[in-house]
Amino acid sequence: MPADASSRARRKARNRLRLGDGATLVLLALVLFPFLWLVQMSFRPNADILGYELAFSPTLAHYRALWTGAFPGSFVNSLITSLVSTALALLIGVPAAFSLSRGGFRSSRRIALWILATRMAPPIAFTIPFFLAYRFLGLSDTRTGLILVYLTFNLALVIWMMKPYFDSVPRELEEAALIDGCGIWSAFLRVTLPLSAPGLAATAVICFILSWNDFFYALVLTRTQASTAPVAIVNFIQYTGWEWGRIAAAGTLVMLPVVAFSILVRNYLVRGLAAGGVKE
Amino acid sequence: MSRHAAFRLGLAPALVVLALITIAPAIYLVLTSLTPLNLTLPDTAWDFSAPLDNYRDLLDDPRFSRSVWVQVQLSVATVVLQLAMGLGIALLLNADTPIRRFARSGFLIPMVLPPIVVGIVWRIMYAVDISPFHRLMDWVGLPIGSLITNPDTALWAIVLAESWEWFPFTMLMALAALQMVPAAPIEAARIDGASEWQTFRYVVFPFIQQTLLVAGIFRLIDSIKAFPLIFVLTDGGPGDVTEVTNYYAYRQAFTFSLWGYGSAIATLMVIGIFVLSWAIDRLTRAADTDAG
Repeated sequence: MPADASSRARRKARNRLRLGDGATLVLLALVLFPFLWLVQMSFRPNADILGYELAFSPTLAHYRALWTGAFPGSFVNSLITSLVSTALALLIGVPAAFSLSRGGFRSSRRIALWILATRMAPPIAFTIPFFLAYRFLGLSDTRTGLILVYLTFNLALVIWMMKPYFDSVPRELEEAALIDGCGIWSAFLRVTLPLSAPGLAATAVICFILSWNDFFYALVLTRTQASTAPVAIVNFIQYTGWEWGRIAAAGTLVMLPVVAFSILVRNYLVRGLAAGGVKE
Repeated sequence: MSRHAAFRLGLAPALVVLALITIAPAIYLVLTSLTPLNLTLPDTAWDFSAPLDNYRDLLDDPRFSRSVWVQVQLSVATVVLQLAMGLGIALLLNADTPIRRFARSGFLIPMVLPPIVVGIVWRIMYAVDISPFHRLMDWVGLPIGSLITNPDTALWAIVLAESWEWFPFTMLMALAALQMVPAAPIEAARIDGASEWQTFRYVVFPFIQQTLLVAGIFRLIDSIKAFPLIFVLTDGGPGDVTEVTNYYAYRQAFTFSLWGYGSAIATLMVIGIFVLSWAIDRLTRAADTDAG
């Protein structure tokens, strides 16, 4: 009897798992439906753009139309501002994170609070002074101006994410390099940094995604020359109205890099987005 | 060079840059909020003759107080919905099968989409003539009008889109917390005959409630920054029923060129957000002392 009971319990557990798997797939399809609808619209020919039959002959016409307008330029702007801002944030932020981790500064708690405050502050509080100052500094509608603004969130993020990584690398490893006659920074470059490479890569990806996704700063601080892809979409909505196929294609192109990247760094996302709120 | 000096050299550039891009603008913002700055009237720059006028005006600006109320509704509704959706889906995903592992990445997508794309996705869902949702309602014989141009439903349309965008955040945090719950007490409760619900309520939930609280506060603070969705879906309208405080400040400054007034609103927002952040700090530290 007991053997029979336990096999029945096992069967019950297996059925539960299967039921849960089924529910998961149904729910996932339901949740992602609005997003998938956008993607399929981008491939529908204009004559059939409002259609809902699953069978249609896909076309790349909307993507081709984008290629001839101002969109490619804005894509390049997005790419340059996101990459340069990420690189700068790493260049300045990584040594700072290491110093905070090893330096034993008495003010490190105050610096941590400052960084948390930067993460929490509303962008509107930055855009107003940046907009006013850029008019005098000649940085309105420039990529340099955007790169600088993106540092407000990227730099804080780099310090906040990298410090715990450096904390977890044992100091003894650096000490060994120091005995060999290295300075502290060359010990850092040779020993600690390579050991923190996965964290560094994840941090870089998250900085890139946050910059790439920005809409508000780019909307306010750029006009034509430096406008990024999200703003370009809004601009051509304002010029040509809601041309659904083209808008869907542009949206699909803009989201492609971030969706790919973020699935790669899924496990690090929480820590990056909730910087400060998640305990190690 | 001493080691301490070397560390100070490593830290200095970051602190200088941070001060330049965060503290300097903050000071500039507060100073601007004390002037009637309007870029179409040159004399108004650096006019400190009536420094508190903007704040006094805010006190009896009904549009401002309404924007705060819209903000409270939006924030409370989205945080509650996100916690419910996030926890529900996290419970479903908290089993180790290939399908659940795959779904963990899939459910993540709304959160990482560029906010402008989320806006377009929902603009399509809410467009009466092309939305599959509206077509479905027509088909079952319950045609409904546009949700985003109806003052009674516009805010809730935004709540739905915003919750869709950000439930993955609470889901990820809830999932991380669920995976830290030890198996032994759950097993013990089951042997003692506890029902599924009792096990969750009295064994699992106490382990994850702190994380849920932190996730909720993070979403609460970020909901105050909501912008792209409102920009794309309703532009604050119809009338001003979806005009949150952030959007009102944006309009005053960038549309009406009332920079002093907009700065005063932004300054109040910063103060409000810092009070909330202080609460986070207190709560997480209280949790630390509880735990250890």
